[in-house]
Amino acid sequence: MKPDAAILPGDIPEALIEPALTVGVVTPGSLDDQVLAFPETKPPKQWYIGLAVTLTALFIGVGCIGYVFVTGIGAWGNTSPVFWAFDIINFVFWVGIGHAGTLISAILFLFRKRWRNAIARFAEAMTIFAVICAVIFPLIHIGRPWLAYWLFPYPNQRALWTNFRSPLLWDVFAVNTYFSVSAMFWYLGLIPDIASMRDRATGKVRKVIYTVLAMGWRGAASHWQHYEKAYLLLAGLATGLVLSVHSVVSFDFATSVVPGWHMTIFPPYFVAGAIFAGFAMVVMVLVVVRETMQLKNLITMRHLDVMNKVILAMSCLMGYSYMMEGFTAWYSMNEYLHRSFMNIITGTYGWAGWVTISCNILIPQILWFKKARASYFWMVLVAVGVTIGMWFERFVIIVVSLHQDYLPSAWRIYKPTMIDFGVLLGTFGVFFTLVLLFARVLPVIATTEVKAILPGAQPSHQGDDHHA
Amino acid sequence: MPETSYAVLGVFETPDALMKAIPQVRASKLGTVEAYTPYALHGIEEALGLRRSPLGGMVLVMGILGAITAFGFQYWISAIDYPIITGGKSAGSWEAFIPIMFEVTVLFATFTAGLGMLFLLNKLPFFGHPVLSSKAIKGITRDRYVLALEAESEAFDSAAAARALQAAGAIEVEALPAPDRSPFLTSDWVLRTLGGIFTACVVAGLAMYFATKWFPVLAPMKYIQEQPRLNAQKASSFFKDGHGMQQPVPGTVARGYLPTATGTQEEAASLVNPLPRTPEVFALGKKVYKNRCEVCHGAVANGVGSLTAAYGAKPANLQAQQFLDYPDGKIYWAIVNGKNAMPSHAPYLSERERWAVVDYVRALQRAQNAKDEDLKVAR
Repeated sequence: MKPDAAILPGDIPEALIEPALTVGVVTPGSLDDQVLAFPETKPPKQWYIGLAVTLTALFIGVGCIGYVFVTGIGAWGNTSPVFWAFDIINFVFWVGIGHAGTLISAILFLFRKRWRNAIARFAEAMTIFAVICAVIFPLIHIGRPWLAYWLFPYPNQRALWTNFRSPLLWDVFAVNTYFSVSAMFWYLGLIPDIASMRDRATGKVRKVIYTVLAMGWRGAASHWQHYEKAYLLLAGLATGLVLSVHSVVSFDFATSVVPGWHMTIFPPYFVAGAIFAGFAMVVMVLVVVRETMQLKNLITMRHLDVMNKVILAMSCLMGYSYMMEGFTAWYSMNEYLHRSFMNIITGTYGWAGWVTISCNILIPQILWFKKARASYFWMVLVAVGVTIGMWFERFVIIVVSLHQDYLPSAWRIYKPTMIDFGVLLGTFGVFFTLVLLFARVLPVIATTEVKAILPGAQPSHQGDDHHA
Repeated sequence: MPETSYAVLGVFETPDALMKAIPQVRASKLGTVEAYTPYALHGIEEALGLRRSPLGGMVLVMGILGAITAFGFQYWISAIDYPIITGGKSAGSWEAFIPIMFEVTVLFATFTAGLGMLFLLNKLPFFGHPVLSSKAIKGITRDRYVLALEAESEAFDSAAAARALQAAGAIEVEALPAPDRSPFLTSDWVLRTLGGIFTACVVAGLAMYFATKWFPVLAPMKYIQEQPRLNAQKASSFFKDGHGMQQPVPGTVARGYLPTATGTQEEAASLVNPLPRTPEVFALGKKVYKNRCEVCHGAVANGVGSLTAAYGAKPANLQAQQFLDYPDGKIYWAIVNGKNAMPSHAPYLSERERWAVVDYVRALQRAQNAKDEDLKVAR
């Protein structure tokens, strides 16, 4: 890329010059041929194998949910006093996964981190799919999902309104807003790319579908001007959502009086955890994508290196949060809080607490080494570890806090059933099926955005201070 | 080149060539200058002299509107239409409304930014634009930078426009014919698509109609309704009398209620109503009478209630001379102990409520047998 005209190349210290974002020679045309060709060709054998696996998982999940609908939610392990259990664990887990996409597409956009352009599309898609997986759980958890519309405040003949002071209702609004905004953001970003696909399409059906989806986008400068403005505004709005959605989810816990939940650290702690889990998932998927779809020149090792650094930073934040939880428990001199914290590491579910701590805090420390950040083995190990660890963190927060609270006569050990695990597996099936389908029909890399940051993509400067 | 042109397009290979050509082509003053590029070029809006996008202001206004809407909606529901006390807060406490205000603000703002940009400012979807059917469009969405001189009037000289673009460095020029009037609606496949959607709607509607007509509607998860439990006002095979709701055991006294007066009705005749005759007592008596007595004894206590026909029994006409002559205590005794088919109401009514009803019955009797003096008092 061209340095600013005002600053001569020699004036910039070597360390501050951003290395190229792509490897080898990439031109706008070659980018289209590489990225947009994938949906146009017959998928490779691995894709079908992958789809078979994910669809199997999906149908196991559908079967389990069907069984729950027929027999009732007693098929799950949820029982007094652990009423939330898997449904809410999985809900929080999936909503959290989504946060990486929004962070990459919104916050990194505002910070002008141009490396985000190559991975933003995939991460945003993962956000939407993760929120879809997340939404399944509250819906089935309410027991009678066909009455789910009761969650919304609408005038009805029961003459009832929802309770606006309940964090659970805030959740309804937060998650719906999050989904709508993410979908809007994703679709707006896709429009110019779909227009490219429309103009490349040869088949008639393909042409009609992409024509409709592209809405007649023609790349006019007057359109780009509004488009860029809209994108910037959406990035700003979505930034607020990154921070708010998981905060609102954490209110479900923090505003209650259950020891282990009633803590002011919960909102930032949840947001950090969400970004942490989301980045791990993105790294995991990107490694597969760049290998199987031959995108090594666009999703470079530098991308993975930066992502791993974010994971490391978030891991340290999580460690701090865990320590603060312990500190709060000790400093509060509240015996219930104290016991609730000791339960995490020494109680019946102490193993889950240690899985959380080792997967989230200890294993990611390997990323301090540059070699580990450049090695598939270590980064995938860390990513899988973080995914498991973050799931167990929510298990610890929900089950460990609930199974023993103030009243010892109500204490009970919670055991999930196979149906619980089947539904969880099913959502992984939903998620990865959607990821695979997405990779087949839409450009997995935002070609328009990457074109704009290729060397020579922007006009050289004529005295003004416009730069990317 | 065709007689009337919509525009002439000049194709450029690099952004720099395009940017350099813009001032030249604009200076030729042959028509409106527009650029078509694969991605947004920095600085092109100044070069083309485009107005600043008004989107920011629109989003701000709609965002504020979203916040106000959310606050008003929540306040009206939580404080006015359906006030419920949660967590000991007053019904109008607004702090808990903030999260939803934030979410709705973002929602309004996002939809304004996205849909406002697409529909209002860019006038999309628009499938009939001449550029979309040009040869250059494949390059525009790929790696070519196109400058268009668009006709402003009938006098547009497409040959001169092509020359101007070539002089500015265009490697290729293309004249676009003027489109048919309203190309969007005459476009064949759009009509066919709309027809298809219409047919699909009709078919789906008919299918739904006959499916619900011919096949029984099965409520999912019936076991939730059909569990072995007693329902109010419903039959049950569990009890001998076949009723789901059972009478309390004789002599039951609810917590906080006085024990039932014992003895015969004659003995109760001497009891005196301890309540003062105030509007509050009257209102209470009226409420209890409406809830407990009116269904049998009737609105004016003449023994013609809505249940009389269905029930078989004949409730007492309290307007009969016999009851007009009753002392308060005997009515009280009947309420407490029940009489003939009438069950005891002692378990349901507090001492105060029982006497209030007595008062109300007295008022009904007086109203049905009013004397001339009563009229004067009323005046």
